[in-house]
Amino acid sequence: MFEYSFMVRALIGGIAMALVCGPLSFFVVVKRLAFAGMGISHAAFGGVALGLALGIDPLATAAGFCCLVALGIWFTSRRGRLHEDAVIGMLFVTAMAVGLMVIRWADVYNVDLMAYLFGSLLGLDGADLALILGLGAFSLLYLILFFKELLFIAFDEETARASGIPVDFIYAGFLVILALVIVVSIKLVGVILVSALLVFPCAVGLQWSRNYRGVVAVSQLAGMVSVSVGLYLSYRLDVSSGASIVLVLFAVFLLSLLVSPGRRHAIAFLRGGTRKGGDGGAG
Amino acid sequence: MGRRECRVREFFESPPPREVISLRDVWVRLGGHVVLQDITFSVKEGSFLGIIGPNGAGKSTLLRAILGLMRPERGEIRVLGMDPRELKGELHHIGYIPQQVLFDPLFPVSVYDVVMMGRICCIGLLRFPGRSDRKAVLESIDAVGLRGLERRPIGELSGGQQKRAFLARALCLETRVLLLDEPTAGLDLEAQESLLRLIATLREEKGLTVVLVSHDLSVLSRYADELVCIRKTMHLHGRPTEVLGSERLKEVYRCEFDFLSGGGADQAGGRSGGGAGKGTREEGRDGERSLI
Repeated sequence: MFEYSFMVRALIGGIAMALVCGPLSFFVVVKRLAFAGMGISHAAFGGVALGLALGIDPLATAAGFCCLVALGIWFTSRRGRLHEDAVIGMLFVTAMAVGLMVIRWADVYNVDLMAYLFGSLLGLDGADLALILGLGAFSLLYLILFFKELLFIAFDEETARASGIPVDFIYAGFLVILALVIVVSIKLVGVILVSALLVFPCAVGLQWSRNYRGVVAVSQLAGMVSVSVGLYLSYRLDVSSGASIVLVLFAVFLLSLLVSPGRRHAIAFLRGGTRKGGDGGAG
Repeated sequence: MGRRECRVREFFESPPPREVISLRDVWVRLGGHVVLQDITFSVKEGSFLGIIGPNGAGKSTLLRAILGLMRPERGEIRVLGMDPRELKGELHHIGYIPQQVLFDPLFPVSVYDVVMMGRICCIGLLRFPGRSDRKAVLESIDAVGLRGLERRPIGELSGGQQKRAFLARALCLETRVLLLDEPTAGLDLEAQESLLRLIATLREEKGLTVVLVSHDLSVLSRYADELVCIRKTMHLHGRPTEVLGSERLKEVYRCEFDFLSGGGADQAGGRSGGGAGKGTREEGRDGERSLI
């Protein structure tokens, strides 16, 4: 299959995405932003539709929509009287409604739209790959440079703020990175399924390690394996790449749940072996 | 490591006794309501101030205002001689333990990682922890008696041990001031005692200035040099014996107490050095009798 350049591009792009989604999904899961990820990715639908209708690069308009929703989530969660999930619930359906309107008026029912919704092996051209690699490197750099601050914010935002950490600035940056990674992943995984890459890798990592270093490393590994196997299956079975990647991610998660040390801890706990028993009382 | 130089400030060069924290006529509004009004007191270096008051009295808000997390509507707050919101570069002198750290017990960080978070403001943006940071973290873990547990996930520790870990996090810098919001909440009596004894010992060893917020009077009476009792405004301010012996306290808490049994207040009263030492005088305020 490596004789096809589209396959090589898809693999390189997919592995780059998995490397970024390791630390990204870690923060999405521990900061409980899975719904934000889903909201931002679904908002991309409005952007893609608008781009297709106007004849400009759908990824550029999707990036605009996603960043707007991300910053909307950030702004209302800081200043507004609403919780983040309510804001996300309103913003993403609005963006999707805009998308549906635009599609109807501009009459852009075509194969392109399906590829954007569910991902396509053939979707990645050279420019897309360059975009994934460039933005991926930038996002990874952001996550590495601000990792310790993001960890502090995710763990205890109040104290992070009291320590003088620019919480709002770093969190806004994180949401924009989240939006951009979602946008560049759309071509491979699709609008509907891209949020899986933001949850599954960390969910697998948490089964294998109880420290963030291990969790992030396993997340990246699980992501790379799943994306590679998923792309292979997409090629062999001629199904949309988004669907195959998500199903492999689910299989890896299920396998981890059954055989990982985390599972053994859970079984020991259920059998009445109190791991925490020895710690109690002191203080 | 290119560590940011810790600025030597005029404050620490001024002759003692120095006022580490001072509030003058502070009003704080929260969501349209006045939560704190007319708060005036100061904390001298090395003293232990207890802020008491019933639930919802504005104690935590007061602490947050001192930390610069909240802007007072009126009045002036000075911490280390500066406006708390301008303390950015000096925050390594201030250790803070919030009321409740609402973390997920499964959050995958070890005790060591949590304490290292305390060093972040000193390490600075875009930098990574160096050898001196690792050393300071291990020393701090040692000081609170958690040696040997540094690799344990934080969620596996008991409530008391977790508080100690947060104390270590607050102390792993060049901490001069320790601000604690209900540190004993949710702990059993033994763990409460043990934690407060540890705080008192560390205060002696490191010459810390401690401000501790609690609604539990009996606990504070034995350790604090001075107590400030607030419910929206300041009702009482003085040595524990004076404050706890005041009839006014019952009105503030709207109930009766028997917290002086045990004689702890005498112990605290004998250790009155370093406090604001204004003594006690009665003064009319809003037509009421107050001890200020």
